[in-house]
Amino acid sequence: MNGLKLVGKSVLRKDGPDKTTGKARYTVDVDLPGMLVCGIKRSPHPHARILRIDTSKAQKLPGVKAVITGIDTKGIKHGFVETPRYLPDQSILAYDVVKHVGEEIAAVAAINHEVLAQALKMIDIEYEILPAVFDVEDAMNPDCQVHIHPNHPRVKENYCNIAGKTQTQWGDIDAGFKEADLIHSDRFESHLRTHGYMEPQTAVADYRGDGTLHMWISSMGHFNKRKKLARTLKMPDASIRIHKAYVGGAFGGKIDLFSHEYCVAALSIKTGRPVKYVASREEIFIAYRHGQPLISEIKTGVKKDGTIVAQQLRMINNAGAYKGSGVVIIFLAWGFTMIPYRVENFKYEGYSIFTNNPTRAPLRGHGAPQVRFAIESHMDIIAEKLQLDPIEFRLKNARVPHEELPNKDNVHNCGLIECIKEAAFKTDYTNRRNLRPKTDRLDDSNPIKQGIGLGVSAYFGGSLIYPNGSSAIVKMTDEGSVDLLTGAIELGQGSETVLCQIVGEELQLEMDDIRIISSDTATTPPDIGAWISGMTYVTGNAVREAAAGVRKKILQVAAEQLNEKTENLKLANKSVWVADNPEKRVTYQDIFQASITRQKGDTIIADGHWRTMRDEPFHPSLASTKGRWTENYAFSVQVAEIAVDTETGEIKLLKATTVHDCGFPINPQLVQGQIDGQVSLALGHAFMEDVMMKKGYTLNPSWLDYRMPLIHNVADSKGVDVITENYQTGHSFRTKEVGEGLVSAILAAIANAIYDATGLRLYSTPFSPEKVLKGLKQLKKNRGLL
Amino acid sequence: MKQAIELIINGETYDLIVTPNVTLQEAIREHLGLKGTKAGCEMGTCGACTVLLGDKPILSCITLAVECQGLEITTIEGLSEGPTLSNMQKAFVRAGAVQCGFCTPGVILSSTALLKKNPQPNVNEIKKALEGNLCRCTGYNSIIEAVLDAADPSGHLDHQQDQEIKL
Repeated sequence: MNGLKLVGKSVLRKDGPDKTTGKARYTVDVDLPGMLVCGIKRSPHPHARILRIDTSKAQKLPGVKAVITGIDTKGIKHGFVETPRYLPDQSILAYDVVKHVGEEIAAVAAINHEVLAQALKMIDIEYEILPAVFDVEDAMNPDCQVHIHPNHPRVKENYCNIAGKTQTQWGDIDAGFKEADLIHSDRFESHLRTHGYMEPQTAVADYRGDGTLHMWISSMGHFNKRKKLARTLKMPDASIRIHKAYVGGAFGGKIDLFSHEYCVAALSIKTGRPVKYVASREEIFIAYRHGQPLISEIKTGVKKDGTIVAQQLRMINNAGAYKGSGVVIIFLAWGFTMIPYRVENFKYEGYSIFTNNPTRAPLRGHGAPQVRFAIESHMDIIAEKLQLDPIEFRLKNARVPHEELPNKDNVHNCGLIECIKEAAFKTDYTNRRNLRPKTDRLDDSNPIKQGIGLGVSAYFGGSLIYPNGSSAIVKMTDEGSVDLLTGAIELGQGSETVLCQIVGEELQLEMDDIRIISSDTATTPPDIGAWISGMTYVTGNAVREAAAGVRKKILQVAAEQLNEKTENLKLANKSVWVADNPEKRVTYQDIFQASITRQKGDTIIADGHWRTMRDEPFHPSLASTKGRWTENYAFSVQVAEIAVDTETGEIKLLKATTVHDCGFPINPQLVQGQIDGQVSLALGHAFMEDVMMKKGYTLNPSWLDYRMPLIHNVADSKGVDVITENYQTGHSFRTKEVGEGLVSAILAAIANAIYDATGLRLYSTPFSPEKVLKGLKQLKKNRGLL
Repeated sequence: MKQAIELIINGETYDLIVTPNVTLQEAIREHLGLKGTKAGCEMGTCGACTVLLGDKPILSCITLAVECQGLEITTIEGLSEGPTLSNMQKAFVRAGAVQCGFCTPGVILSSTALLKKNPQPNVNEIKKALEGNLCRCTGYNSIIEAVLDAADPSGHLDHQQDQEIKL
């Protein structure tokens, strides 16, 4: 791209050689001398009172070094959300009542796995089984006899087990519906899926004699993790050092404090030895946090010309046994609803409901796939009823550049309209839809039906969650290369590569001239973390600012050395030269030497800081949605081309086309990698993956039975970057998120493509063969074909 | 009853004393400290622990160490030489077929075994060879590109940055 050296180019991953040769070190690879292994005793019951815990036998077993139970952690509460409205509600270890299968009750540190397994078996617990509830609508029923927690004190509705509620409205919803020519309602349901990160949940703690706790955690943001550890362990933040390790995937599942992280720390403090915990894959399936099933009820009023005049939504989330991110997803579901289309009169209610299932976590997209599946299916249904072209219908209501959203955020250079047009054009969408009468689709002899469908999505990037912003330090070395210190965590997205590209661009360095020291809470500045889809934007701008500071110092020293004005100087090849006299130059190495010898010993170092919405103190209210959310919205349109085998019910995603407004792609190859990964996650969501639970127990706790996409399921994936921003050296830049939003529209597109192929409208995920066959059979019956 | 065994890993002979229930993966990672081999599930379902026994990819988490007495094993550490990556390793970097990297050692070893047996595989043969390796990040598209490129570097991947692919 014009005049840019590294940014905007598919620079190869900086961590590629380490990761392809086995040199990359993950938390599971950390071994320390004298290290003990930790195991967790978990509840086998979905709801039970603990009458007695006897750890005496386990404690006497030779090789057992420490056992902790709820008595040791009594009174310590933590939660995904910790606000005055949503107080922390999880215990580290259960003390009186367990509320889901797999809940942590005791933790053991032992010299090896054999002793550990024996010790865990020897912990004797007596339970009184309590009645439990699992279905979300049973749980919220006013007659429900199971009360997992008291109702949220500020939600005064006649429901049970309310963990939280989000509500908001604007315009006049009743007047809006009165204006409508068509009012249509639908209900959609999504199912339970899990992250499937390859590296298990794991943590290592090493409490040393000087009172510092050293930890390695498979995490998504060390500074947030450290804050929660410090609070629960009652230690100063500065006494806890979380070290860098690569992270073997997370997808939302490794945010927040987990009981095992506290336990290894507490056990290390107690024993004075390093302690390591690695969850088994079965434990991850049974006890850890999965994604969130959501029920979406939508009612929309539309005029004949396609203008949406009113929309009312009611979302219900099955939160599991503790609030987890369940009270966040009902806020986000509002957000994912309101971004792409203009709705003048709007009402939203989202309920998060406790059940005796494991607590829930964000899962890549955190509600957007569920919400967009519902809304984009609903949009196609309405378009057909009004005999509107689905593209025109969407274009009519789509947000335009610089539009203000109802929450006062601005969409800035929103590229949604361009994305819709480009997606339709690139896939020849309109011509390829099955325009023949729908009854024709099922009665010809070919059992394979092809279809095409489209969906729209939008996603926020980089909102305010502790530590709210990122900082970075760039310092020059004696050789004129630089070190970048950043708290950013590399979990596969390519953070280390893009951040080095930015430094290289600002200082005109090669990738090899930049050494990155990352995600170490003792040596790197705070970082927002890789979990609100804003790292390239937030940390990227902090890094850019730090590099710009170094650039300024380089130019100052060079100007003195060359006796020139800084504005006459240029940077290239690790040297500074005079614009009209390239012979007159000084190398970075000499500049550095000059700086430390002549400038009173000043080294060349600079810091940079970035936070979205500097004028905004907090994240918006989860309850009322009031307050600004972000300054950085990304938009996407995805088209699915599928084949349905009407004899087996199996569906194959043949091709996914992703057209997205990514702002400015710092590294197009990494962007495409994000697109491909999300298409794959979505096709797993659509066709294969399903955490099957019965009475709180996971029935398929392995990758043999929980089927994630294999290489045989790979879909042809094409990405088109709609570039609405640019990058200029010395100026802040805007990249929009590419890591989460693109699992969403494609799911909706698949649902719409199934309808296009067969006439079958599916209102719930997954689109399993059983469901497809059942639906097709009913459809044929209705049409007199059976 | 502990047993003394000899494992030949990446051309070097190691003497170990293990109980018969120790898996090859445990022997490699915990006893010998070769951490490049990963453990994703420890039940033979994900392929992250893949190593080569001779030229054949096997799952080290469901193979007993004592069964490998005297056999030649290649782990991911055995593919590169000093700072130089193998052609397959380079192709994975070039194609962007690495994200979190946790599945990567296993996928690269399965792919290496494929090219030894079949130097010019088609896409279906690549899929067949890698069907036991789960990757959650890449969606597999770039992995297929990488293997095709390793088999035939004259394909469409950009080789301009090749000199930078080194340790």
